[in-house]
Amino acid sequence: MRIPAVERTGGDGAVVAGVCAGLARVLSVDATFVRLLFALLAFASGAGIVAYVGAWALLPAADAAVPVRRRRVVGTVLLVWSGIIALSGLGLSNSVVWPLLIVGAGAVLLRRESRLAGIALVVVGIVVFVSSNDGGSATSLLTPGAVAVAFVVIAGPWAYRLANERARAEERADMAARVHDSVLQTLTLIQRDPADARRLARRQERELRSWLYPSVATGTLADAVDRAAAEIEELHGVRVEVVHAGDAPLDERTQALVLAAREAMANAARHAGADEISVFVEPTAVYVRDRGRGFDLGAVGADRQGVAESIRGRMERVGGTARIVTAPGEGTDVELALARRLDGAPKAEGPASPPTEQQT
Amino acid sequence: MTVRVVLVDDHDLFRAGVRAQLGEGVEIVGEAASVADAVPLIRALDPDVVLLDVHLGDGSGDAVIVQVAPERPAVKFLALSVSDAPEDVIAVIRAGARGYVTKAISAAELTDAVRRIADGDAVFSPRLAGFVLDAFRTGEATAADPELDQLTAREREVLQLIARGYRYKEIAARLHLSPRTVESHVSAVLRKLQLSSRHELTRWAAERRLI
Repeated sequence: MRIPAVERTGGDGAVVAGVCAGLARVLSVDATFVRLLFALLAFASGAGIVAYVGAWALLPAADAAVPVRRRRVVGTVLLVWSGIIALSGLGLSNSVVWPLLIVGAGAVLLRRESRLAGIALVVVGIVVFVSSNDGGSATSLLTPGAVAVAFVVIAGPWAYRLANERARAEERADMAARVHDSVLQTLTLIQRDPADARRLARRQERELRSWLYPSVATGTLADAVDRAAAEIEELHGVRVEVVHAGDAPLDERTQALVLAAREAMANAARHAGADEISVFVEPTAVYVRDRGRGFDLGAVGADRQGVAESIRGRMERVGGTARIVTAPGEGTDVELALARRLDGAPKAEGPASPPTEQQT
Repeated sequence: MTVRVVLVDDHDLFRAGVRAQLGEGVEIVGEAASVADAVPLIRALDPDVVLLDVHLGDGSGDAVIVQVAPERPAVKFLALSVSDAPEDVIAVIRAGARGYVTKAISAAELTDAVRRIADGDAVFSPRLAGFVLDAFRTGEATAADPELDQLTAREREVLQLIARGYRYKEIAARLHLSPRTVESHVSAVLRKLQLSSRHELTRWAAERRLI
């Protein structure tokens, strides 16, 4: 357990010495609330004032060195004193306040290295408490209660540490299982059939990435294109590199964009003979490019389902365009764009290019 | 002229792979696996180019640049990473790297990138181009120097084509420019990326932080 460092705030945050503002910042509550608390405590026989002076002595100023030892001791004593005043002010008798103090000191020692002294102090505190409150009818309830408190004080930190360690061990086991299921299996498969290594390695990379860096946004355009690209890689064993600049929510129009892009990727994977396909996603456009054979657009029959229906038809139905730039030996570039919306998202238009192109 | 390269990466296997595959005209004169080893090595060898992994065992790649660059301004850095986390990439570029490529890059392309870096060019991978477009996409120029805070239409065009997987030569042909002009646009973007004080850059990278 680490307690965040409390610093007195200097300058404009401070009203007196910045103690309240500093505490408020660490507790992430409003400074007025902390000030009110100190003011209320001040009414309890002045405990608030003593506590404030103690905290002022104990806490370092912002960006300053830790106060000297004597000042820290004085601060601690003042804080303890204010605690005693406050508890007495609340109407608790000395027989409750002093045992509490002793148990508290014991608990502090427990967290340090002097564990035996700590346990001893806690036990002494309990004994003092029980014996000084003896004689009342509540004794039969008091004793087990006090012992329970002592138990929690002594065993609490230890149990906390144990639980922490167990959580870490479970995390490690989970990691080991994951590495075994994925990485080791893949390596085994690669040894058995090296021809498949590229596809297996790529799939493994994707899986590990999505596990290590789970994507925050789901159900968006970029996410859907990523998934389509993964499917194409999986089906055809071609590397598909997706680059994003911006994203958009999925609706009817962007959905059509994803499906058209998927078809363009599938065409590239099937026919281009390139080993990598580049995909670039913008909020209103997707570009699919390969450096493969390319083809003569004019020679493709108008009845070819892939280009005509799955790409052009799809884009036109949602008011978009599909432009295909290709020539034999030149690779293929498919530009899919939705009509710009009125939200003014900037989009650079690619100008005309040398190879044959055909615009819909 | 042979380009002298120091390779800084904490994975032995990756270093061995690069050493075996780097092509003609590029010679690896030294290797280091950590920030602590890399800094004195680069100072001693004074190479033309440092191939620098973004993540090292004892720190991040930008620490190497920050410690070496003031004394050895002629040494050029090309960042390499598998992480693709925008905040890492932006950090190493802003520290002074002249480019960024992913480790999946082919050997021929890496060799080419090292040569271009040695010539003083900037090297943007498609992914870096995508990052830059995204980071500069929104908002008006906010800081004191609006010229640094915005991309020109031409720069945007060039970056978009890089993001789409085009090489510089192909971009030049497509935009009817000389390769030299394409190069100067990319260098201008790099300069803006390194010098712009626009807070969107940092905020953008932080928002896309991969946890």
